[in-house]
Amino acid sequence: MKHKSWYLTIGGILTACMLAFTAAGLFWTPYSPTAMSAPDRNAGPSAAHPFGCDQLGRDILSRTLEGAGSTLTIALAVLAVGFVFGLLIGALCGYYGGAADALVMRLCDAIAAFPSVLLALVVLAVIGPGKYNVIGALGVLFIPSFARLVRGEFLKYRDRDFVRSARLMGVSDLRIIFVHILPNTWPTLLSGLTIGFNNAVLGEASMSYLGIGVNPTEPSLGYMLKEAQGFLFTTPWYTAFPAAIVILLILGVGLIGEGVRERMGVAS
Amino acid sequence: MAEPIVRIDHLNSWYGRGKGRRQVLRDVSLKLAPGEVLGIVGESGSGKSTLAKCVLGMVTDIAGTLEVNSPRPQMVFQDPYGSLNPAKTVGWILEEPLRAAGVTDRAERRRRVGELLPLVGLEVGHLARRPAQLSGGQRQRVAIAAALIQGSKLILLDEPVSALDVTLQAQILRLLAELKEKLGLSYLFISHDLAVVYQLCDRVAVMTGGEIVEEGDVDTVYDHPRHPYTKKLLDASLALD
Repeated sequence: MKHKSWYLTIGGILTACMLAFTAAGLFWTPYSPTAMSAPDRNAGPSAAHPFGCDQLGRDILSRTLEGAGSTLTIALAVLAVGFVFGLLIGALCGYYGGAADALVMRLCDAIAAFPSVLLALVVLAVIGPGKYNVIGALGVLFIPSFARLVRGEFLKYRDRDFVRSARLMGVSDLRIIFVHILPNTWPTLLSGLTIGFNNAVLGEASMSYLGIGVNPTEPSLGYMLKEAQGFLFTTPWYTAFPAAIVILLILGVGLIGEGVRERMGVAS
Repeated sequence: MAEPIVRIDHLNSWYGRGKGRRQVLRDVSLKLAPGEVLGIVGESGSGKSTLAKCVLGMVTDIAGTLEVNSPRPQMVFQDPYGSLNPAKTVGWILEEPLRAAGVTDRAERRRRVGELLPLVGLEVGHLARRPAQLSGGQRQRVAIAAALIQGSKLILLDEPVSALDVTLQAQILRLLAELKEKLGLSYLFISHDLAVVYQLCDRVAVMTGGEIVEEGDVDTVYDHPRHPYTKKLLDASLALD
């Protein structure tokens, strides 16, 4: 195939820019994200405040930088929780099968039957908001989809001759699972990871937008959107910039996923 | 006569459980002497692959005597596309059986792989490649090398040349015959292809419906088949030639 898609390139560039933006926010912001300044209230974008200021005169660029940092950290943590446990459960279920597999998969079906954001909402309503609770609740709810994806891949490989031959040679089951089969599943898992990352970003933003995510003292992009919605018509920049960051981040990672799927010939 | 490397006496085997349990091997008896090549011929579903799995210890629902006097017998599979891990290099694939056997010294593993390569007609340059970058014949050579590298003396060949074209078939069969002489191997050669069996095997056992219906020297069986099923198989294969 001669045709080389631009998905990976564009997605990579976009994601790199967004990551650089976010990483910068972890170390440096032009102003303190919480410093208020009366004369700058509702100020539009200018040289001093490229993203403008909110109704309290806080610099929106600084807040967006910090918010992107916490959104990204939370999304990555959610992804890590969901992926690690999903991988373990999916790999063991797919490889061994049997009654335990059937039981675990029905449990996953039960969880997956509810919209994950809604379920996380209920969980957070019970255990209370906060960064770690968001990570825990969303992370656990992400496990079934990863488990299912990984399990499907392992089912595909467990009866291949190269796995049988490894068993004959006396290779241990754990080594077969993680060293022999797992590397073959990366293309599929990678594209699953990009989808999961986007869902995690959106999940965190939704939680915070609904006011049950991170605490107000640590701004996230979702929380900023919640604050900004009352001023959509007076200070549209307050909504526009955090929203743009969320969209560009998701777009970039989504394109990478699409590119990976295309290049590896994985059906989406 | 020397102690047989495989001795099977009145072996029965079943698949499935409960009501779905059905017998796949019926009263199978055979012997394989060291250095011998025994062909097992039959159509698909005749039980020949199950017999191989029994020898490898992969079937647990069995009754009868099954003695395998060779540590860790190995198998060469029909399809070299499926039997080599697509995510790994040839070097890794050949070293892995040694790792599994507890050879922790990397240099030692490399040395043993290096020794085996010329025997199977591969070169050092092939080690860094992945299976997808090899031809079908090269892949089957890698699969054979992987089966041999642990030092197993008993090798089960499950249609090892059926996926290859005729020229390659001849090459691989010649290679298998050479390796047998050099390394003192015994083969259990499973095939539906009578012509291929004739080229490599000393004796042949004909299977149908889970039973061995005829067994003997290749020449005797091919020239004077006694069982009607053997005659049918021979006629069918002659009709194709």
